[in-house]
Amino acid sequence: MVEVTKIKKAFDVHLAVDDLSFMVKPGEIFGLLGPNGAGKTTTLRMLMNILRPDEGEILYKDIPRSKVSRKLFGYLPEERGLYQPARVLDFLIYIGLLNKLSKHRAEVEAIRYLDKLALVGYTRHRIDQLSKGMQQKIQFITAILHDPEVLILDEPFVGLDPVNQIILRDLIQQHKSEGKIIILSTHQMDEVERHCDHICLLNQGRNILQGTIQQIKSRFREDAYYIESEEDISFIRDIKAVKILEEHNRSCKIAINSKDITKEKLLQSLIEKINIKKFIKVEPTLNDIFIKLVQKEEVVEKK
Amino acid sequence: MRNIFHIAKWEFLTRFKTRSFLFSTFILPLIFSLLITLPVYFLTYEQKVSTKLVGLVNLSDINISNKLQEYLNRSYKLKNGSPEYIILPVSVENAPSYKSAIAELQKIAAQRDSISRAYDEIKILRASYYRNPNLMNKEYLLQKSYNQMIEIRESKDLLEMEYENYKEVVDSIRSSEARLSADSLLIKNILNAYIVLPENVFDAGLIEYHSQHPGDLLESERMQKILNEVVIKERLSQADIESEQIIHWLNPVKLIKYQLSSKGPTEWDFYIEFYGSVIGVVLLFMAIFTSGGFLFSSVLQEKTNRVIEILLSYASSRQIMAGKIFGLGFLGLLQVLIWLGIAAIFVLFNLFQAGQISYLNLENAFYFLHYFSLGYLLYAAIFVSIGAIFSSEQEAQQINIILRTIAIIPVLLVFLFLKEPASDIITILTYIPLLTPYFMIMKISQYGIPVSSEIYLTSGILILSIIGMVFVAAKIFRLGILIYGKKLSLTEIVHLLRSS
Repeated sequence: MVEVTKIKKAFDVHLAVDDLSFMVKPGEIFGLLGPNGAGKTTTLRMLMNILRPDEGEILYKDIPRSKVSRKLFGYLPEERGLYQPARVLDFLIYIGLLNKLSKHRAEVEAIRYLDKLALVGYTRHRIDQLSKGMQQKIQFITAILHDPEVLILDEPFVGLDPVNQIILRDLIQQHKSEGKIIILSTHQMDEVERHCDHICLLNQGRNILQGTIQQIKSRFREDAYYIESEEDISFIRDIKAVKILEEHNRSCKIAINSKDITKEKLLQSLIEKINIKKFIKVEPTLNDIFIKLVQKEEVVEKK
Repeated sequence: MRNIFHIAKWEFLTRFKTRSFLFSTFILPLIFSLLITLPVYFLTYEQKVSTKLVGLVNLSDINISNKLQEYLNRSYKLKNGSPEYIILPVSVENAPSYKSAIAELQKIAAQRDSISRAYDEIKILRASYYRNPNLMNKEYLLQKSYNQMIEIRESKDLLEMEYENYKEVVDSIRSSEARLSADSLLIKNILNAYIVLPENVFDAGLIEYHSQHPGDLLESERMQKILNEVVIKERLSQADIESEQIIHWLNPVKLIKYQLSSKGPTEWDFYIEFYGSVIGVVLLFMAIFTSGGFLFSSVLQEKTNRVIEILLSYASSRQIMAGKIFGLGFLGLLQVLIWLGIAAIFVLFNLFQAGQISYLNLENAFYFLHYFSLGYLLYAAIFVSIGAIFSSEQEAQQINIILRTIAIIPVLLVFLFLKEPASDIITILTYIPLLTPYFMIMKISQYGIPVSSEIYLTSGILILSIIGMVFVAAKIFRLGILIYGKKLSLTEIVHLLRSS
């Protein structure tokens, strides 16, 4: 179990991470979300012990992070970098050796992953001869090669085509099924909904939302409905018990803000007036929640 | 420890295979050696290419042309044994103006001679008159012959004056004609130069040297040296001193330079010592800056391509720094060993008489390795720090150039050093850690073996500086390595060093 307790990290006067706490259990995928500059990468670097928190502590299996053996963690940094002139297999073996694998074992594992990622034909190629996507996959192998107990991935899906995203997702899921811990950062909300068990939304270094996907969704559930018609529906504005959330040309998103009216009654009254094409109950997407919360923060700050 | 080994091995192997390593190990020293030895080779080669004709316009009475030739032959010979200089007396006997002048002079001389004879005859006649007691008209005859004699003597005096005057004219014609013909030979490049010995050469000691290139000091000074010898010998022989005595007196002094070393005195040759010092220092410079440069770019590259984050995940910053320094240090050691191996081959097979160069020995090879290792470690710590502070190679190169400039100072000071290796300035510079290895290498090639107390002292200073610098470098490296995109300012560095 990874336990992060009240960590803080400042660069000069800028507070990159402020009072952040979370916990990740084995077999869980934990997602760090947030806009650019929210402190995701800094948090991951602290988890990797590349940076030390100014305050607070990070424990893995109740041992302070700086005392935990480095080979138990695997890291895919956000900044994709590789030794350009090196050969693919040589570089992977080198990283394997640094993680205390034997040379033979490192070679076997490297070839196994290269095979999984459809790169086995490139073992003797120089890294700079490969495409960006291929280089990214190789960097992913450096993170997972030594079978770490905790896998830390900074924006793992950025820059990958859909096919490779699926391959990568499968590898991550497989790692999860082996009871390992995965902590990833992203700002692609659909990815989070699909992968993560647990998320933490960061803004300006602070934790503004945390919990499982279900918890968050139920917390932010609003009685919202999506209505679409082929006719003009602007008259909806005049209904008192309805609050317009979004309005488009022939569609709108509304919420019922009075107990006097039910959705059945509302639908009934609408059908009487116009021809309804769609009437759907809207589940809040993480994207909505994300935007809503970040915007709210900004408003608070301006005040 | 194992990670240090893996990192060192990786750094060593990736750089070992590069063209840049091969270039700086084999091609660069070769180019450098050719660059400093070729000009000297050409200088000595060109001088001995052919025999040179030197004209001689001798206006004095003494014939020294043979002697001059003999002396020149003794000192300067071509490789095939033939003389380098041949003296060619410039003759004017066939010049028409000279011929007619000589004819005129001869005519005057004939007149003078005949009148001299007449004068002698009249004197004899008068003597016979005087001695004869029985002579009739003795008084009259004596008086008459006396008048005749006075008359003849007067014309004789006049003719003799005329002869002397005309002889001067002839001499001046001869001198100007000789110069004219010598000049034409010089212009036609038949003569390399010509010398004019004036009449009073042995008193005044002034000799003219004519050449199209009087700035060629080597030629003119050789001629001056030989003429000096010839003239002085001639002066001595005119003073009736035996030639054996003269040879003994003029036997020149030659300095053979010896140098004191632990193996006793050894002969000292300027060129060998000069090149020994320069090549030693430049090779050390190249070795330190080849591997130091690799280290520098290795740190910068990993910073730019962000591999450093992967490395930092699986190894500590200290392991990474140590791995890099050792890996590339061994690469530098390999380079030095290759050079020492080449030097050993030269010595063993006595190529270019390398076997006779005293400073090429095992002990000095050890010292070279010793000072390379210490010098490299010091520069490596500095390079690592600079690499960690700067964000782009361009920015960092500026500092690199400053370091190179500092390190090349000893090469520029070689002459100063050879002149006075024990001078205060050299001693002070020797104890500046960044310069110590270079000056010690120079001193080692100079003294054979330097004073051991100096070795202990300089090694101590270097080791202390290395410990201090590595300590600082480790901190800067750990803090600076993750900061990219911007250069750390000096105040930020001080701040980071304090806060850690």
